[in-house]
Amino acid sequence: MADSTPLTVSPAPHVGGLISSARLNWSLALSLLPASAWGVFLFGFPALQVLAVAAATALVADAAASLAWGRAVLRDGSAAVTGLLIGMLMPPAVPLYVPAAASAFGIIVVKQSFGGLGRNWMNPALGGVVFALFSWADAATRWLPARGTPAGTAAAPLAALRSALAGGAQPTGGVLSALGARGYPWSSLDGRVVSWVNVHVLSAVGLSLPGGVFDLLVGNIPGRIGDVSVPLLMLGAAFLLARRVIRWQVPVAYLASFLVAAQVFGGLPMGRGWFAGAALFQLFCGSVVLGAFFMATDPVTSPLTRGGRVAYGICLGLLTFLLRYFGTPGFGVPLAILLGNCISPLLDKIARPRAASPRKAVVQ
Amino acid sequence: MLVGLCPAAAVTGRVIDALWMSLGMAFVLILTSLSRVILHLLLDAPGSAGSGSRESGLLGSRWLGVLFLAACFTASFEVIMGAFAPQESAALGIYVPLLAVNCIVLERLADGSPRRAIQENGARIFRALGAAASRGAAFAVALVLISVVRETLGSGTITLFPLGAFGGTIVVSGISAAPARALLFAGGGFLCLGYLAGLVRLAGRLRNRRPRAAGEAGAQ
Repeated sequence: MADSTPLTVSPAPHVGGLISSARLNWSLALSLLPASAWGVFLFGFPALQVLAVAAATALVADAAASLAWGRAVLRDGSAAVTGLLIGMLMPPAVPLYVPAAASAFGIIVVKQSFGGLGRNWMNPALGGVVFALFSWADAATRWLPARGTPAGTAAAPLAALRSALAGGAQPTGGVLSALGARGYPWSSLDGRVVSWVNVHVLSAVGLSLPGGVFDLLVGNIPGRIGDVSVPLLMLGAAFLLARRVIRWQVPVAYLASFLVAAQVFGGLPMGRGWFAGAALFQLFCGSVVLGAFFMATDPVTSPLTRGGRVAYGICLGLLTFLLRYFGTPGFGVPLAILLGNCISPLLDKIARPRAASPRKAVVQ
Repeated sequence: MLVGLCPAAAVTGRVIDALWMSLGMAFVLILTSLSRVILHLLLDAPGSAGSGSRESGLLGSRWLGVLFLAACFTASFEVIMGAFAPQESAALGIYVPLLAVNCIVLERLADGSPRRAIQENGARIFRALGAAASRGAAFAVALVLISVVRETLGSGTITLFPLGAFGGTIVVSGISAAPARALLFAGGGFLCLGYLAGLVRLAGRLRNRRPRAAGEAGAQ
């Protein structure tokens, strides 16, 4: 209907909305598929169960809440995307009531109670996930081992690094060497690939890679279902950027500020001094990439103006850094983006462009 | 009304806390309200100096007087509760002294028209008593409702008074193994308060709609 009419009459703000909500959501779902498929491949049937429960609960809760509030039940897939994101932010071995509760909370409380699609001031997926993380903190850290690593030893690299540091040992060399020295279980394939590269390629230059580089790059690590594979997430993000579903300002500002902060200050808590933060390691574990491209860019809860988006991204990067290094493990990205959601109207206000018509002239 | 409930949202993590809080609220409200009216009658009686001026009296401003009374009764409730229920008193912590603030807010909000029309002294006292008691009861209902929801979902239990063979705590099976602890945070309290307020508004809207619909049907 809207596509066939030549003119669209709508209330302000008129920001380049040439994409319908349904198209936006199905693009998002499509772009999330490779990374979720990787999670299912890596962790097996439990991961698929979690994703399915989260998405199904979100759909049912959305329909039920829409009916209860007397709104039209939308079939644009927004609830499915919310559910998928919630599933992707869950560890694979989580009990199934956790994703279900997170989806129900995100949809009913965070989205529908505040007026439904487009009126929620907080990202529903993240609201639900944070609710679940606060409620069932122990259930939300049940990792499954990656492929080719011994069973029963799964710990996400970030958590392992934290506990390694808590042991009081000062890591010498890189973060990966420190993890390796603590006996972190990288996969056997990783060992073969890294040693092959070291022997055949890097020995000529006099360098060597620590174990784990391959696992991290590919995403063969314990983690949340959807955030382990950074390359596949980047692929999805490139698709979204190419289709102009998301704008580049937020993710670029987010990742840049996070990387800079992590590199400059990240070494300090580990007792390694300035500019020694292993920022790339931080980029490849945890859900920074997933958050930056797929959740911080949510058009409803991020600023509308270009300057506002840049400032928003920078705030998110710094908040993520602070929460990851000094907060409860696992809360960094979700809490940072939720806090960013709170200030995003303010950023819009500050970065509002000047009015096009000079008012003085009109008055005279 | 919501302003008066805000600090109380913090103590509704357990049903027993909500009950004590409501008890304290009723105690302070009723005594403050009663003594305010009685003092008013004694000091501001017709013929004495300053009658007719709403803001005058022995205590200067009337609200200064209410403040003083509420603070007195709150302090006495704190002492009584500390004597009879030291554990609950410790659990409530700062929120017992804060009752004074709640009471002043509720008194201020309740300062309305009905009192003006009544001239007879006894009726004024009864009216004040009734108003205070009903406000205390409404506060109790709201607090207990919120606390039942929060405690059941947030920790899977319902904590009440120990009574005979009953140990004082009902364990809700199924939830107690993995409760949604987030509801026990202050935010959970405000969330429940918000939904309760929404339900009250919904009920009000439905009640308004029904007679009107009936009237329209009658007109046709």
